[in-house]
Amino acid sequence: MQDILEVMTSRKSIRRYKPDPVPDEMLDKILEAARWAPTGENYQPWRFIVVRDQATRDKIGDLARVGSGSRMTAWYCLGHMQERFAGIQDKEKRDKVLRFMYSGEVSEFARQSPVVIAVIGTLMEGSVDVPYDLSAAIENMLLMAHAQGLGGCWVHGPVATTRDAKKFKEILGIPTGMGEYKVIAYVSIGWAAEARKYPRPKKNLEELVYWEQFGQTERPRHG
Amino acid sequence: MDRNALLNQMLYRMEEVFWHELSDCASWKTEYVGIDFIQAQGIEGTNENEVIKSCIDRIKATGLVQDIEHSIGGNDILLKLKVRGCQLMLKETMLRKSGIKPYSCPVANMIRDQLIERLGYETTYLADMAPDEKTGCCALKVAIYATPEKIGAVSDWSKE
Repeated sequence: MQDILEVMTSRKSIRRYKPDPVPDEMLDKILEAARWAPTGENYQPWRFIVVRDQATRDKIGDLARVGSGSRMTAWYCLGHMQERFAGIQDKEKRDKVLRFMYSGEVSEFARQSPVVIAVIGTLMEGSVDVPYDLSAAIENMLLMAHAQGLGGCWVHGPVATTRDAKKFKEILGIPTGMGEYKVIAYVSIGWAAEARKYPRPKKNLEELVYWEQFGQTERPRHG
Repeated sequence: MDRNALLNQMLYRMEEVFWHELSDCASWKTEYVGIDFIQAQGIEGTNENEVIKSCIDRIKATGLVQDIEHSIGGNDILLKLKVRGCQLMLKETMLRKSGIKPYSCPVANMIRDQLIERLGYETTYLADMAPDEKTGCCALKVAIYATPEKIGAVSDWSKE
């Protein structure tokens, strides 16, 4: 068993996959990890739809590409994307990254990942923490995938808008009523075909933690 | 208090808490606000200008706005709307005072919906919304994509 912090800090979002299949026993472990995520009042609202079918994954990939691409094209036209990626000094490289983003290619990798797991939650009466519960389940899935040597990515793109979320539900046969199931994201799973640098740049704890009161950055002595 | 102010105050509180929950994502989730009305209007038209003009006529007839000007540019993916005398201006002013950039426009939603429903547009996106309470005018930039191939048809909208 790897140290859990090592698993967390070495995990990266993987968007390029080899075509090799994911064995059922590895997939089962990922789903089992999701089942044990924290959940308000032990409500367990999550449901998971495991998709290996290529035609279905193609539809999800197309939806994700159009969803992300439609927003990022507009952000580029407004100048927002150029500001966001101004840190990339090499113009050719920056332009390539920007094209990757505004074309929507950044989100269409459901086509290549051997497994896509749609994460949805029941909104039956009494449910109160559905998005938070589902997010915790996704984190468990990503960590278990990584701990087994697999890559994964949490993708919100194809369900970000109300209209796209409905299309996503239709692709997978999920009831489309707004009061029935919430689609929060899908998780792609597969063998990584890219080696991303890690650990990724992160803010220092000093920038993130306050002590006793909001804004208090000095750590008090105790004991 | 007049009825319109009351409705604006209620909508403001709804949008305030919705933004608090979803931040910038709130706009993406509210695209259906207004579509029930426009879908019941029997909008007709065989191209963008006809559909948009038909929507504008119906919206103006309700008294929700005094006038709407529109133009399409930016490789045919930028729809600019200039809305005057909108009855929802108070809501936008209240949002801005509470530190939230206005993000939901039923007028834009109605037109977006009919581009999709009547002309088969692939998708749309409310890119920018700039209400000005002093002039009573709201400038909107809406990305409209007739086909998937229009995704990525970038240009500089500041020159439009």
